[in-house]
Amino acid sequence: MDATGYVTLTRQSGLMREMQAVANNIANISTTGFRREGVVFTEFVRALDDAPSLSMATASARHVDLGQAGLTSTGGTFDLAIQGEGFFALQTPEGERLTRAGSFTPSAEGELVNPDGDLLLDDGGAPLFVPPDAGPVAIAADGTLSAGGQPLGRVGVVQPTDPMSLRHDGGTLFSASETEPAEGATIHQGMLEESNVDPVAEVARMIEVQRAYELGQGFLDREDERLRGVLQTLGQ
Amino acid sequence: MKALQIAASGMAAQQMRVDVVSNNLANMSTTGYNARRAEFADLHYQQLARPGTVTSEDGSMMPTGIQLGLGVRPAAVSVVLAQGSLEQTGGDLDVAIEGSGYLEVSLPSGTSAYTRDGALKRSADGLIVTADGYEVAPGITIPDDARSVSISASGEVYAYFSDTVQPQLLGQMNLVGFTNAKGLEATGSNLFLESEASGPPLTGVAGEDGLGTLRQGYLEESSVDAVREVTELIKAQRGYELNSKVITAADQMLSTTAQVR
Repeated sequence: MDATGYVTLTRQSGLMREMQAVANNIANISTTGFRREGVVFTEFVRALDDAPSLSMATASARHVDLGQAGLTSTGGTFDLAIQGEGFFALQTPEGERLTRAGSFTPSAEGELVNPDGDLLLDDGGAPLFVPPDAGPVAIAADGTLSAGGQPLGRVGVVQPTDPMSLRHDGGTLFSASETEPAEGATIHQGMLEESNVDPVAEVARMIEVQRAYELGQGFLDREDERLRGVLQTLGQ
Repeated sequence: MKALQIAASGMAAQQMRVDVVSNNLANMSTTGYNARRAEFADLHYQQLARPGTVTSEDGSMMPTGIQLGLGVRPAAVSVVLAQGSLEQTGGDLDVAIEGSGYLEVSLPSGTSAYTRDGALKRSADGLIVTADGYEVAPGITIPDDARSVSISASGEVYAYFSDTVQPQLLGQMNLVGFTNAKGLEATGSNLFLESEASGPPLTGVAGEDGLGTLRQGYLEESSVDAVREVTELIKAQRGYELNSKVITAADQMLSTTAQVR
C-alpha cells in the first residue's frame, strides 16, 4: 500500500475508536455519576526516505468531560450529589479512588459504602461511620453528617492536585496521583448526579463518525480504482 | 467492532431498568412495598496506550493516553427506604409502622423473617399471624372471648372483655432494626431475611431506639411513586432506543468495511 492508503487507514482506525467511545457514552446514559469521554485526533507525522514527510491522523488521546450533570431527587438518606467541582474519596482494595456517583449505604458494620462495598472517606481520609442506633441522619451542604444534633463526621470532597493525572477506572471510579480538598463544592442530600452524557450530542457525533468512516472507505475504493486503471493502462 | 457489544451491554442495562420499573408498578398497591431502583456503573477500561507512555527520548509523555470504556454493568438494585403513606382501614389488627423498623415473623422452618406489611390476622388458635399465616414474634394469643384488641404506639397489645372494664395486657410487639436495611434479602410475600450485608437484627421497643412507632387501624401503602416510575420507564425506553441506534450505526460501519475491495 502506498501513502494514500496509510493516511486513510490511520483515520479509519481512529474513527473506530471514536465510535467505541460514543457507544460507551450511550451505554452509560443512566450510570450515576458517569463522565462522558471523547477521543482526540492529532496529526501524526512520519519522515519518508525519498519524499517530503507524510502527515497522518491518530486518535492518541482521550478527553474526560468533567462538566456538571443534572441532579435527580431520590430522597435516600445517603444519596449524595456534588454540585461544583470535586469528587468523593473512596477506599478501595486498589487504593484511594475518586467518584461522583454518590449512592451510599451503611454497611452491616455501619461504615458508609458504595454499591461495590468501597468505603466512603471523610475529610481526614478515614472511613465514615454511622452508629446503628444514630437515628435519622442529616447531611449539610458542606458535608457534615449529624444525627440528633450530634455531628458524626464530614464527607470529604477532593480534587486531583494535578488534573492531568486523573485516570478513568471502571465502576465510575477515577484515580489520581495526589488529591487536595476541593473548594466551593456543595453536597446535596437525597439527590444523585446523573450521567453527563448528552444524547443529542452523542447521536450527532455518532452519525458524523459513521459518515466520515463511509467517506474514508469510498476514498479507498476510488484509490483502488485509480491504481487498477494505472495498471491496466500500463499493461496495454 | 466493540461498539456492538458495548451497545448491547447498554441495551441489557436499560432492559433491567424496565424490569425493575415494571416490578415497582406491579406492586403499586402492595402493602408496605418499597420501590426499587436500578443503579449502573461503567465497565473496565481497555488501555490502548497507558497514560504516561513515554513518547520521546527527552521523556515527554502522553498526558492522557487512550483508554476506551467497554460498556455498562448493573451495580445494584437498591431499595428506596422511604415511608409509604398511611391508609386508614380501621382494622383491629392492621398496624402501620411509622419509622424504619420491621415486624419479626417466625417462619415454619424456625427462622425469622422481617416485614413492614402490618395487615395482621388472627389464626384459628387465636395467634396473631401475617396474611400468609406466619406467627408474628413474640407469639401473642388473643383469648376467644376478647371483645376487641388495641395495639398502642409502643406495641403493647391489650384485649378488652365484655365482663370487665380493665383491659388485659396480652404482650408486647417488638420492632426490629438493621444497620443496613437496604441489604436485607427480599424473599417475596413482603418478607425479608437477614443477610451478611444487613447486619444482625437489633430488636427494640417501638418508640425507642429510633425504630418508629406502631399505628393501629392503618396500613402502610406501597411507596411507589407512579409519576417517577413512568418517567423512569420513558428514560429507559429512550435509552434502549439510543443504544439500538448505536448498533445500527456500528453495523453500517462494519458493512462498509466488508464492502472494501
